[in-house]
Amino acid sequence: MLRLLLQGAFYTLVLAVAGIAGGTTLGLLLTPLGFLRARPLRAFYHVFIFFTRGTPLLVLALLIFYGLPAMNFSQGPYVAGTIVLTIYSSAFFAEVFRGGVLAIQRTHLESGRSLGLAPLAFLRRIIAPLALRYALPPYVNVCVMMVKASSILSIISVWELTLAAREIIERTLLVFTALGIAAGLYFIMCFGVDRLGRRVERHLMRRGFVGERV
Amino acid sequence: MITIQGLRKCFPNGLEVLRGIDLAIGDGEVVSLIGRSGSGKTTLLRCINFLEEYDAGEIRLDGTPLWYRAATGGARTRMPEPAIRALRQQMGIVFQQFNLFPHMTALENVCLGPSFAHKRPEAEVKALAQQLLERVGLGGKMRSYPYQLSGGEQQRVAIARALAMRPKVLLLDEITSALDPELVGEVLEVIRSLVLERMMMVIVTHELRFAREISHRIAYLSRGQITEIGPPGELLDNPQDSTLKEFLRRMP
Ligand SMILES: Nc1ncnc2c1ncn2[C@@H]1O[C@H](COP(=O)(O)OP(=O)(O)OP(=O)(O)O)[C@@H](O)[C@H]1O
Ligand SMILES: [Mg+2]
Repeated sequence: MLRLLLQGAFYTLVLAVAGIAGGTTLGLLLTPLGFLRARPLRAFYHVFIFFTRGTPLLVLALLIFYGLPAMNFSQGPYVAGTIVLTIYSSAFFAEVFRGGVLAIQRTHLESGRSLGLAPLAFLRRIIAPLALRYALPPYVNVCVMMVKASSILSIISVWELTLAAREIIERTLLVFTALGIAAGLYFIMCFGVDRLGRRVERHLMRRGFVGERV
Repeated sequence: MITIQGLRKCFPNGLEVLRGIDLAIGDGEVVSLIGRSGSGKTTLLRCINFLEEYDAGEIRLDGTPLWYRAATGGARTRMPEPAIRALRQQMGIVFQQFNLFPHMTALENVCLGPSFAHKRPEAEVKALAQQLLERVGLGGKMRSYPYQLSGGEQQRVAIARALAMRPKVLLLDEITSALDPELVGEVLEVIRSLVLERMMMVIVTHELRFAREISHRIAYLSRGQITEIGPPGELLDNPQDSTLKEFLRRMP
């Protein structure tokens, strides 16, 4: 039983990592749209966030699971599951990064402007590092959420930790043991993600990212 | 040489902060701006560096009009961004606080501008930056991050960073106001040395004693207008404007 659950946990982890990677990438692409002067693009950004965030994950999962084959794109539940997590988390990540940019001190932006930095250098040397640092805690938050959110995918027959636990329950009726172990495994994974985030944070602190004295 | 003519600035909320500023600053000249809180000193400095757009008037640097171009029909348009960037590189500005990029060491802060703006070899930029940091008395703190520096040290790095662009003018906005009293001296010392080097500077300050010591002229700003300007001795000891008299009476 434990082996089956560990295997499930492994699949959960792979799904979460794939979803987080995809969501981070998509989120990073979306964030700039929220800052553009062009109104249609900004509107598109907010509409996307509004609908993606406002849709229950379960509904989104069903939509994609049944929607993809209808669009003649049928690659099985794992691809569908990864797409679900990617889209869902991208909305949260995009807003997390947008918050990071908004947290940058005005004088830091103006110092950069007064040095006459070109847009690309500005983005690379000032905006990106500062925004990512400010975004790190809420970013880890969303990552932890995604590990747990992946359990919803069991509904669209993605075999992972939750589905593994259900199979065991159906076969052995050991409800509390199976669910207890599954919960423990989820906890360990979330704890790991959290620790990883803390480590990155500590590393950044040594590199000067502690905010400044007042 | 900087000439400002008829500078006007309204904030979107309708507040007219600058109401026709005329000011000429010669090469090597140090002009201090004094005035009550809210009189528009910061806004004036920010307009000179175009961190703030303005509604009317003209600013020239060595005869070249800055920031706007005349368009047909008396209107004006912003200069293209690359031109604005090139002009900004000829000016340095230091704010009251939070100048330094927190994720870069003192040395990296100073190197950032010239390495991108001047496209010089890395070694040359670094040598210049080291020289400037030594000059402001921070030769031993080049690898420190801003959070490891005192407020006075941070401001000195900020000055070095501005100087690294080899600016024609330095704009300083109350750069000692956020400092503990015992740290003010070391920053003022750096400014004194720049006066000796004939650096053109516009300094907003509340330290009247310091303004008297280093300025060639002091300008008094009142409700968005320069109502009195002159050498420190005249303006501080024999003020004409009645609000200036009142202002000076209240100062320690
Ligand atoms: N972004 C803004 N929008 C609206 N009003 C502003 C803005 N920035 C400044 N002001 C107003 O413009 C006026 C002048 O501000 P400014 O900062 O130039 O004053 P100051 O002379 O530098 O004052 P202080 O000595 O307190 O620094 C103030 O009344 C201020 O409230
Ligand atoms: Mg001010």
